[in-house]
Amino acid sequence: MGWEEMQVRGYPEFVQTAQRYHGRPVFALFCGDKDAEGRSWCPDCVTAEPVVRKELHNLPDESVFIYCLVGDRAYWKDPNNEFRKNLKLTGVPTLLKYGTPQKLVEEECFKAELVRMLFTED
Amino acid sequence: QEAAKYDKKVMVLDFVTPTPQGNSWGLGGTCVNVGCIPKKLMHQAALLGQALQDSRKFGWQFTEEVKHNWMTMTESVQNYIGSLNWGYRVTLRDTKVTYENAYGEFVGPHTIKATNKKGVEKLYTAERFLIATGERPRYLGIPGDKEYCISSDDLFSLPYCPGKTLVVGASYVALECAGFLAGLGLDVTVMVRSILLRGFDQDMANKIGEYMKEHGVNFIREFVPIKVEQVEEGSPGRLKVTAKSTKGSQIIEEEYNTVLLAIGRDPCTRKIGLDKVGVIINEKTGKIPVNDEEQTNVPYIYAVGDILQDKLELTPVAIQAGRLLVQRLYAGATAKCDYVNVPTTVFTPLEYGACGYSEETAVEKFGEENIEVYHNHFWPLEWTVPSRDNNKCYAKIICNIQDNERVIGFHVLGPNAGEVTQGFAAAIKCGMTKEQLDSTVGIHPVCAEV
Repeated sequence: MGWEEMQVRGYPEFVQTAQRYHGRPVFALFCGDKDAEGRSWCPDCVTAEPVVRKELHNLPDESVFIYCLVGDRAYWKDPNNEFRKNLKLTGVPTLLKYGTPQKLVEEECFKAELVRMLFTED
Repeated sequence: QEAAKYDKKVMVLDFVTPTPQGNSWGLGGTCVNVGCIPKKLMHQAALLGQALQDSRKFGWQFTEEVKHNWMTMTESVQNYIGSLNWGYRVTLRDTKVTYENAYGEFVGPHTIKATNKKGVEKLYTAERFLIATGERPRYLGIPGDKEYCISSDDLFSLPYCPGKTLVVGASYVALECAGFLAGLGLDVTVMVRSILLRGFDQDMANKIGEYMKEHGVNFIREFVPIKVEQVEEGSPGRLKVTAKSTKGSQIIEEEYNTVLLAIGRDPCTRKIGLDKVGVIINEKTGKIPVNDEEQTNVPYIYAVGDILQDKLELTPVAIQAGRLLVQRLYAGATAKCDYVNVPTTVFTPLEYGACGYSEETAVEKFGEENIEVYHNHFWPLEWTVPSRDNNKCYAKIICNIQDNERVIGFHVLGPNAGEVTQGFAAAIKCGMTKEQLDSTVGIHPVCAEV
């Protein structure tokens, strides 16, 4: 069956989507919003996205990859935003395996080896 | 990781043989998964329970009865451990260390066979090998032990509250576990064959036992279990334990929900093919004798950690020994691991920190007339308002009269003993004398000023 991608924006949409796929491996990449030209305010996210996308073919069958835009810079900087509070995210970009403590944060997302490890190993 | 820094090609083989109850865990060894880390977190859970009680005297008002949820605590602890397991894997991968979750055993000179959990075998060769396989809990060898009893390997991830628990053993593992279980509100009994905390200062050991007894832990002294039977299945079920006196023929029987065995740990050295490469182990204990550079009798095979003969079984010691070994091998360093004056702490309900000689060992080594013991009870300021015990906390130092009254032993029984002991350990390493200690002005009001 391979894997499929869902694109969401904001916390409620993310949670709704993740819960819909309960029972299947769910991976999520959180990035800062993109402007009209498609560029994110978060420079590290700009670097990480292509690295992550290049490894997507390694996702196990039945996986769901959620690409989630968290919001604008001001929203992200607020220490009480829902991503920080509920998902315990500490930075963007964050790439994680939903429902497990396995995640990669910021520069870790630049490393293809680590991304591959997250996608393919238990 | 240290070796990879020096551009060596490194592989780590880590495998956990499941417990008799079927339990296993991730990368990181005993400390991270079924030792220090979960232990301290659960100890903290128990301390917080006590703090909630104390808080009323300090003016906090809450009307609800305070209850403890085992599952909530265990889930949080396991989540944290999971993040540590993952963190180690990321670091190993990042430093280009190859990690395989496979059981390693020697099959010939310089050659190891790795078997993963699916039974797939691979062979690897290397210039040098480091054995750090640690230990696993010992079982009693009585009917029903493996089927019905649990060990510390199972306790920290137990998917149900243990309920009324019998802890068999008098090691620090036994007392720490009994301590926090009781602190969480469970009915706990400790069955002791002879003395508490063998190898530790007995004066301090007895004080710890007394405190635990006064705070709700039952002790059955001079008995050993001879049989464990299941009365009722369940999570937890009901178990009947039959025990015999060590001093006569008296037999007792009692029912518990859980029986936790903490009677010792045995090195994992018997099934890793050491005989195939000629590494000598102590046949009786399973421990590996090494020289002061952690080298076994086979020059290319080294060992660190709990499996070493006559060395301390502590995580930081193993880590230090491992790092220094690699630095000696690949970075031209000469420093050897110093096993003397290593501080430790036992996280019983009343914590005990120690560094250096126990009173008995000091007397044995230097003679009673050559040592001087200074001691004091103290009452932590934080305990005064809630009217907690005023004569239980205790500190003593042991000095060598013949050597300028140098402090050779430090013992403290009280809150945050670990934090207190750390600084004094550094002072003892520097050879602090009683006079220097006396001339150090105390911080007030803290326990450590005593």
